[in-house]
Amino acid sequence: MSANLFPMHYCAEAQAEAGIKSRAIDESLRLPVLALFGNAVHWLLISALISLVLAIKLVIPDFLGGISFLNYGRLAPIARDLFLYGWAAQAAFAAGIWLTARLAGRPLADKEACSVAATMQRTLLICATVLWNLAILLGSLAILAGYSTGVEWLEYPNWASGALFACFLMIGIWAVLLYDRRINERAEVAQWYLVAGFCSFPWVYGSANLLLTWKPLPAPAQGAVQAWFSGSFPLLCLLPIAIAALYALLPRMQEAHLHRRTLAPLGFWSFLLLAGWSGIGNLIGGPIPAWMMASGVVSSVLFLIPVIIIAINLFGISSKVSVGYNSESGAAEEAPKSVAQRFLHLGVYALIFVGALTSFIAWPGISGVLRFTGVTDAKVELLLFGAVSLPLFGVLYKAIPLLLGRESWCPKLAEGHYWLAAVGFWLLAGVLALSGLFTGLALSDPTVTFLNITSYGFPFHVLEVVAQLLLFVAALMLGFNVTRAFAGEYLFPKRS
Amino acid sequence: MHRLPTLLSGIFLIFLTSWIGLVAYPALQLGRLTPVADADLGTSFPPVYGGESIAGQRVYASEGCVSCHSQQVRQTSVTTSDLQRGWGARPSVARDYLRDSTAFLGSRRLGQDLANVGQRLPEAKWHYLHLYAPASVSEGSIMPSYANLFSVRKIEGEHSKEALDLSGSFAPKPGYEVVPTAEAKNLVAYLLSLRHDYPLPEADALTKSPAKPSH
Repeated sequence: MSANLFPMHYCAEAQAEAGIKSRAIDESLRLPVLALFGNAVHWLLISALISLVLAIKLVIPDFLGGISFLNYGRLAPIARDLFLYGWAAQAAFAAGIWLTARLAGRPLADKEACSVAATMQRTLLICATVLWNLAILLGSLAILAGYSTGVEWLEYPNWASGALFACFLMIGIWAVLLYDRRINERAEVAQWYLVAGFCSFPWVYGSANLLLTWKPLPAPAQGAVQAWFSGSFPLLCLLPIAIAALYALLPRMQEAHLHRRTLAPLGFWSFLLLAGWSGIGNLIGGPIPAWMMASGVVSSVLFLIPVIIIAINLFGISSKVSVGYNSESGAAEEAPKSVAQRFLHLGVYALIFVGALTSFIAWPGISGVLRFTGVTDAKVELLLFGAVSLPLFGVLYKAIPLLLGRESWCPKLAEGHYWLAAVGFWLLAGVLALSGLFTGLALSDPTVTFLNITSYGFPFHVLEVVAQLLLFVAALMLGFNVTRAFAGEYLFPKRS
Repeated sequence: MHRLPTLLSGIFLIFLTSWIGLVAYPALQLGRLTPVADADLGTSFPPVYGGESIAGQRVYASEGCVSCHSQQVRQTSVTTSDLQRGWGARPSVARDYLRDSTAFLGSRRLGQDLANVGQRLPEAKWHYLHLYAPASVSEGSIMPSYANLFSVRKIEGEHSKEALDLSGSFAPKPGYEVVPTAEAKNLVAYLLSLRHDYPLPEADALTKSPAKPSH
């Protein structure tokens, strides 16, 4: 690990020097990263509100009924897409760019080397951010108006998805170039994951859109591509950035080395390989060739391996087994964990659950019972809200005060956000998994009618409403806290 | 893997494996499937859709039906419950989707599977009632009403032949009638055309597996 980015406390001089450098780096990315984070949390809030409405609709089907654009079928894709592209992707870009620059020890563009290039770069990033959000806003309105493509997770009309693709190219290129300009010769584990995440986005989003919505393949071939996308997008585009955040921040927060660092390359490469293949595990039993199904089963089951490796790397430090730098100062250990750190920790737990569940429900016999039920939703929730979003919250809480140059959070709101998000998330995942288990077993018995099974689902749907309400209030707290921090910056722009 | 070109080529090669297997291969193989000609019946399967059904697919996509309904009967090597539930007489195969512009395979079953809904529920009248007021024909259903696909209008002169036969709390105000819009008609035409009840060689091979549906 290089000492110059997130300063370690073992050397005061290095820390002071690194502090100046870090500030220069933060200065170079301040506006784009804050803009990305700021927009992301507000989309998260809207997505949480729509998810709450959807959960209520499952309990009271007539709730806000009879209005075309408030129908379940139109709101459901919007809630998901806003979460995926509005919140998760955007927060991942923000976190990814900030982490890349910090880890590389370089500002986004060297102002001293070439001020024109620096200005251009920043302008491009801002333009991409604006266009990205515009595309999401207009694309979501188009879905409301009935212009959805009908392909799950790719519902945005072609012009919107095209704009998202172009924006991504404008954002992602800098992260990859920064990796090459890094000052640490031996790249860190987090840096590999960052490059992988940024590289896979155009690849995955581009080819899935090209073949499913821009110039659709004949429908018999679409199933496999849809399944590949549904696995690859969250696992290869979003999750690597979240994993990078864990690898970059957790050791530094605990002032310790990674545990069994030599396993990390195996974890990294097997993660990339298996994540790409495991998507087809979402189509077990479906209209695809048998070998494809088998490859989905195998890769999903084996997906547990990289997850275990990541957990070993990170849990070694979480449980304070490994030797840290802080042998002299015991104070850091006694200090209560920050909200950021707790979010990152929770992310590791969620990641382990994702790995275990992916591997478990891929067995053909188990998939036969549990696929299409709430267990499928539980997996998506564990992945998108748990393994992806929780670490991103951690980065957000860590990065924004550094970028604003002052402690900007209302600690009570941050604390409230943490607890509500944690409780809401585990409750939702648990309820969905449990309801899926009941539904799946009931569906296997043909004497139980479908409507009967629907009626069993009622208490679970009520609990889902409770969980979504908690998540909505959590998102509200986060949104308010971020807005407050930014507004404070605008109203009283003093730097500490 | 500390140099960018090395790292990038490693990532690229590893992405390429799943891309070739799950994107390029299906595009080249499954993308080239053609209808199977049946000499005895003088037709080919799967049968082509009518114009209304093609338009109905658009409605299916824009109303987001795929959020709650799947369209696939799973293979018997994985489960026989789809067959036993009467969601189809045989597992779905890739060729069944040949006439669709989008494969609405779905990932959730908050509602029932629709791969063979046209065979299971062949009456257009039922579907109109179900779309307008799901509980009127299926008590306890959590499906929302798609009343936006219908127009409620004042009866002028004779009753429309298309008017929905609603009773009780579902009926419109006296003097008014509920008629399906063109969108509803297209959607129902599409739903009725969803039936994988024709023979296909690869599907016949699948049903020969030992697990047999109980009814």
